[in-house]
Amino acid sequence: MEELRCVAQKVQEEIKNAGIEKARFSVEEKETQEFSMENGEFSLYRTLFDKDLSVTVFPNQKKGSGSTNKLDDASIKAVVEGALASAESAVPDEAYDIAPKQENQAFEAGTYEPDMDLLFARTKELAEDIKKEFPKIQVMLMMVSHEKNHEIYWNTNGTEFERFYGCYNLMIEFSANEGDKTTSLAYASVRTATLEQPFIEMAAVKRKLADTVKQLDVKPMEGKFTGTVVLMPECVDEFLGYICSNFTSDSVILEKTSIWLDKLGEQVADPRVSVTFDPMHEQIISRERYTYDGFVSEPEDFIKDGVLSSFKTSLYVANKSGVKPAKNTSYCMVMQPGDTSFEDIIKNTKQGLLLGGFSGGQPGTNGEISGVAKNSFLIEDGKITTAVNEVMITGNLADMIQNVVAISKETLSEGTSVMPYVAVDGVVVSGKE
Amino acid sequence: MLEDLIAGKKSLFADGVHTELRAQENRYRNVTLVQGNLMGNSRSETSGICARVCKNGVFGFSSMAEYSASAAEAVLKAATNNALFLNQRAPKNKPAIPKLPAGTVPVNRVIVDNEQKKYIDFCKELDDYIAKTYPKLTSRTVVYTEDSMDKILYTSDGHDGHTTSPRCYIYVIMNSETLDGTPIELYDVFGGAGNFDDNFGTVEKLYPKLEALYKKVMDKRAGVYAEAGYKTVILGGILSGMLAHEAVGHTVEADLVLGGSVAGPNLNKRVASDLVTLVDFAHTALGKPAPLPVYLDDEGTPAEDAVIIENGILKGYMNNRETAELYGVKPVGNARGFEFSDEPLIRMRNTTILPGKDKLEEMIASVEDGYYLLDTGNGQADLTGEFMFGVNMGYEIKNGKLGRAILDTTVSGVAFDMLKTVDMVSDEMVWSSSGFCGKKQAMPVGMGGPALRCKIMMGGR
Repeated sequence: MEELRCVAQKVQEEIKNAGIEKARFSVEEKETQEFSMENGEFSLYRTLFDKDLSVTVFPNQKKGSGSTNKLDDASIKAVVEGALASAESAVPDEAYDIAPKQENQAFEAGTYEPDMDLLFARTKELAEDIKKEFPKIQVMLMMVSHEKNHEIYWNTNGTEFERFYGCYNLMIEFSANEGDKTTSLAYASVRTATLEQPFIEMAAVKRKLADTVKQLDVKPMEGKFTGTVVLMPECVDEFLGYICSNFTSDSVILEKTSIWLDKLGEQVADPRVSVTFDPMHEQIISRERYTYDGFVSEPEDFIKDGVLSSFKTSLYVANKSGVKPAKNTSYCMVMQPGDTSFEDIIKNTKQGLLLGGFSGGQPGTNGEISGVAKNSFLIEDGKITTAVNEVMITGNLADMIQNVVAISKETLSEGTSVMPYVAVDGVVVSGKE
Repeated sequence: MLEDLIAGKKSLFADGVHTELRAQENRYRNVTLVQGNLMGNSRSETSGICARVCKNGVFGFSSMAEYSASAAEAVLKAATNNALFLNQRAPKNKPAIPKLPAGTVPVNRVIVDNEQKKYIDFCKELDDYIAKTYPKLTSRTVVYTEDSMDKILYTSDGHDGHTTSPRCYIYVIMNSETLDGTPIELYDVFGGAGNFDDNFGTVEKLYPKLEALYKKVMDKRAGVYAEAGYKTVILGGILSGMLAHEAVGHTVEADLVLGGSVAGPNLNKRVASDLVTLVDFAHTALGKPAPLPVYLDDEGTPAEDAVIIENGILKGYMNNRETAELYGVKPVGNARGFEFSDEPLIRMRNTTILPGKDKLEEMIASVEDGYYLLDTGNGQADLTGEFMFGVNMGYEIKNGKLGRAILDTTVSGVAFDMLKTVDMVSDEMVWSSSGFCGKKQAMPVGMGGPALRCKIMMGGR
């Protein structure tokens, strides 16, 4: 701990000695402990010790950056000099800036010190639970880990932040197998600060295992229809991420290619849609407490009652484009639940698709999206019926968020977002001819 | 270049276990100009040391962000303890991995580290030219990116070695609008293995490639949505390379075969038409250096080619030493780690469908109603071989002639079904090597292929 503070002090001195009037850096130490199981057996135990120093300097309003994972004196000097050399070749730009002085603070998030014995026991327990409750499931890879991270951030306006962060992560890749039948790969993940509950009870682990077994009786869908797609929470998260990135991120605002460029304060979504970026939300385990521009992170509305409230812009692009910088840099999205139960959403759908996963191309800047529906089921006359494969869906993200049919009361959090089920209309669903 | 500080550390390897000790430095550089604004300007590096130890079939691994003799001792101790922990708490009781002959692989290429100014100046000159020459574009982005791996490996058995793999690329992204004002985007990438001066001379040399990209953007401005359905298409080499990597390559990685992939029950069976042969090349392909040559993997196995499909029959998988033993074949160097903190996984190297005898023009002329699909931004596949690729450039084919450009779409299929529909294979092929494959860790990979005539599902309106 003291060693990291000592490194931070040396970096500050290098920056000051180089006469750089505007700069920022972060220095961190990370430790990861990870168990892996392959095909149901423990196969690997990893212990990783890592470090990182990232420096950005703005001499004469020119920008240069450098980073290293070596924290000895020579490497500190080299990375500051390297960033400075990069900046000297750069173009000056008045928009480069760092946040004004903030109150110096220390933050704690998650669980810093792991209980590795309990983590090993919970991992073994999950493997046994799956074998017992879902014997047709073959777990190809299970990784459980604890990562801890201690970071110090500093900038030349005198702001200093310190953060201690730790969390447990679970990731499983699995399929169901019966005779010659194999399903597509399915995934489940959890990020958590505690190990009080068995993993199988967390987030959507059990539901995903059960849905995958149902996929053993999969059939190709025939024909094509334009109708309702009910997005499972993890797909809502993915699609909202595309919307944020394609319509409101730095590059599309700076390039002016966003189709929402002039939509701040305007209705862009169904009035029932409200989405907030909130890395501090009680169900979210996020390390973010401050931005690298030097602001203390705060929750921020993205879309409020269907109205676009903010862009996901850095301080540089905000200065360049005349908009406000985002209040946090996370993609930890919280979508407000609706007033319909998931069961009623299905009951109210005459013909549709329940989308459990999406394998698609990166949507274009125009919002057009198409891809293969994975781990999905047909909805016919208000009931979930056949598991389907070789089905493609095509739509437009900007249209989909306006064509919301219903939002569920139930929400899912895997530790990185909080999402309901959302039914949207007007999506092209096409199977084999 | 890494100095060898760990040569004497083999004496610390524990008895009765298999041990690998690897020192590694990765370097990254980025210059990004968006509309002439310098958005990215960085050089970074990571370095450290790792050890992996296998005891009775379970592995322990440890890494430290420090490259020194004492760090080598620390990671060897931690990795050994981790292997012993698992061997005690979750024993597999497997026999030791068969030993390989000893040997040494020498440094194959020097990594050059120029001043950042050189790259910024080149990008600025290129960006200025694009801005001046193509005023109809709504925006433009120029990105210079390079990465390299420098590894020193010592193993308890097998080959030791010092290998390097630098590569560098320039991405040019052009944005415009369709005639009804919908934003469109296309990019091209130039460069390959080696250092800046190996790949780029003067900016002028890129002008013809920029002109070709711009023409495609202008064609796409008048683009139409593809019609959804099962279509006859000519897959260009970039897409057939993606097919070789994503839809076939991953399903024949032995760890995924063990996980239940579709390749498991299909060994020595027909999975493609007899026009299809697919190989994962190590360092030399078709008489030339492979796009991203690999001479030694991170388990100490000298790299050789892996033949996957021969004349339509699935002939083998890609293995590490453990799975090669399981399947009774010789390991050929597919186990690689990306960073010093990454354990070796089964990875592809330069995966390609081999060229055939058909002329592209004749292939296009043979299609009455279909599409010629040229460029892709990404692709995914799963254990069943069901794949999807984003298509960001293509043309209609009507009565054997190229028609209107198409807007972004997606194609999908099931690899071992779709490959059986291949009935023409062009005599020229295209390689790509700028991307990273993602499978727990990133990894630079090469992929390539000829144009294929086949049937595929098109997404669309």
